[in-house]
Amino acid sequence: MTSTHPVPDASDPPGGDLETRSAAMYDDPRFRELRARLVRFVLPASIAFLAWYLLYVVMSVYARGFMSREVVGNANVALFFGLLQFVTTFGIAILYSRYAVRRFDPLADELRDELEPDRAVPAARKGEDA
Amino acid sequence: MMLLAEESTSQERLITMILFTVLIAVTIAVTVRASRRTKSAADFHSGGRGFTGIQNGFAIGGDYMSAASFLGIAGMIALFGYDGFLYSIGFLVAWLVALLLVAELLRNSGRFTMADVVSYRMRQRPVRTAASVSTLTVSIFYLLAQMVGAGALVALLLGIEEGDTYLGMSADTAKIVGIVVVGILMVVYVSFGGMTGTTWVQIIKAVMLMGGALLVTALVLSIYDFDIGALMSDASNASGAGDAFLQPGQRYGVEVAGDAWQTLVNKLDLISLGLALVLGTAGLPHILIRFYTVPDSKTARTSVNWAIGIIGTFYLLTLILGFGAAALVGGEAITAQNTAGNTAAPQLAEAVGDHFGGDTLGAIMLAFIAAVAFATILSTVAGLTIASSSSLAHDFYNSVLRKGQASEQEEVRVARFAAIGVGAVSIVLAVFAQNLNVAFLVALAFAIAASANLPVILFSLFWKRFNTRGAVAGIYGGLISSVGLVLFSPVVSGKGEDAAGNSLSLFPASVDFHWFPLENPGLVSIPVGLLCAVIGTLTSREEDHDRFAKLQVRALTGAGAERAGSH
Repeated sequence: MTSTHPVPDASDPPGGDLETRSAAMYDDPRFRELRARLVRFVLPASIAFLAWYLLYVVMSVYARGFMSREVVGNANVALFFGLLQFVTTFGIAILYSRYAVRRFDPLADELRDELEPDRAVPAARKGEDA
Repeated sequence: MMLLAEESTSQERLITMILFTVLIAVTIAVTVRASRRTKSAADFHSGGRGFTGIQNGFAIGGDYMSAASFLGIAGMIALFGYDGFLYSIGFLVAWLVALLLVAELLRNSGRFTMADVVSYRMRQRPVRTAASVSTLTVSIFYLLAQMVGAGALVALLLGIEEGDTYLGMSADTAKIVGIVVVGILMVVYVSFGGMTGTTWVQIIKAVMLMGGALLVTALVLSIYDFDIGALMSDASNASGAGDAFLQPGQRYGVEVAGDAWQTLVNKLDLISLGLALVLGTAGLPHILIRFYTVPDSKTARTSVNWAIGIIGTFYLLTLILGFGAAALVGGEAITAQNTAGNTAAPQLAEAVGDHFGGDTLGAIMLAFIAAVAFATILSTVAGLTIASSSSLAHDFYNSVLRKGQASEQEEVRVARFAAIGVGAVSIVLAVFAQNLNVAFLVALAFAIAASANLPVILFSLFWKRFNTRGAVAGIYGGLISSVGLVLFSPVVSGKGEDAAGNSLSLFPASVDFHWFPLENPGLVSIPVGLLCAVIGTLTSREEDHDRFAKLQVRALTGAGAERAGSH
């Protein structure tokens, strides 16, 4: 098969090679905004789920009386707390993915296409290989 | 009902052997097909980066849900109730670290290994050497635990008892044969099929595992008319522990009456384990390299989402399987087979089969779940082998020894031979360790990943000041502290012996040189690893803001990221 790789160097826009343009992009206000958008979600979410998980583990260790209390039938607090960890894990994954599609991806793609104009063209025809 | 009931054993063994053979034939065929497409380095290390999000999600599940999770957690729930479930939750929540902080950024900034990201703005050789040492240590420990388990399992799944023989094999020979067969198969998958072959083996396993778990769960629930409350009370009654079976504290953080110190140690040990599980996953080399097998960072995100869905569903099913085994098989029948409860899931499959279709269906179900367990072992060891051989070839051989001058063909050739070497070493180690208590090695692998790898990966991506000395100190600091503390912990020596006179530690019960009280080092080694990385960084003047800018722009935007192979 012939190579479908675009030849990057030939069509490089002004401003030097990709590395140089990337370094310059770092100070671009749009890149700062991109990073801020990532951190704004990822940092509080990570602190929250780690704290929530550790609370669960610590309570399993030190609050056994409370955890053993039966809520419905023989299903106790510990079981529901455990199941809630599944719910929050799925929930955070869904919220993050939505947030990323809405607030992160469009800006990231915009900056990437600017840095690498050749990639914007027929989007690397995935699926054909592999 | 008994796994080894005389009259049904030969029939069960025959079906089990047939299914094992079919499984081996299918996976070898997939590997041969994959080997034709494996030419470039990107093909070998990353399967050409052409997998879809769903495919990679299943492969991640197949890679991650080892025999320790499938058989181990089901067994732990069957024997200790709630605490097995508690254990599984750490394995799931951990995926949020991978999703939010690691997967996409790693996909964008690296090529084949974890070291690509960590060494991006550092001096290559010291950082790559450190990352390679850490990758190999984590993978070999994990591999060893899987292979020793595999030997015992193959003997168990074929139902060979002490003094009994099958196809001329005694239980001890069957163990060794099991280890050698698993070792040879993993080498074949990896050195011929590369990442493409490994990925397909993992996908096949994940589908089988989910199918098997769903089927047995549905059968268990239908026995109880889908009344989970009734299942739970049956399980807790049968366990002999009563309500305590449904509460934390049967296995972890056990309260020892009259011994406040041991109680405190047990409780801290659980917290230490929880930390290692939740922070270790996103630092496991064989998991990290899976993110390179997809075309871009968005697909990496999709694959982690699929993995979270699959792994989460699986652990929910495991809860039912564990309770089902406690209720329908019973703790006594399980421990009679295997004291750790590793055969609870196959025994349960046989029991529900018996219930619905008599002995024949029971034998078929047992053989099917045994084949699932075998597939589970194969796919995880293959993942660990490719992680080791990629790191040896790409980080150590090419970057350190050849200073990056080796050709792709050369790197691939070295990787194929490295897989053979890793396989040979782990077969030998596993044969020597076959009668030792090595189950702790899985928890240790997570602790090393959490202490040595994760801090350094995150600092590389987010801390501008981070530098070579910080990365090297962080990796070795986390690695040495976690391995060192375990060496002087009760899992290696001084834990005493069980009722049957077997040592509970790695060393014989007469040897005791332990001084570190916890079995899980994470509580101490994770902060030590972090601190070493920080101190190392601050005591070195090296600062490369320009490279950091390039790395962060690449990680966040994907500009310059490796593309899907085109050949």
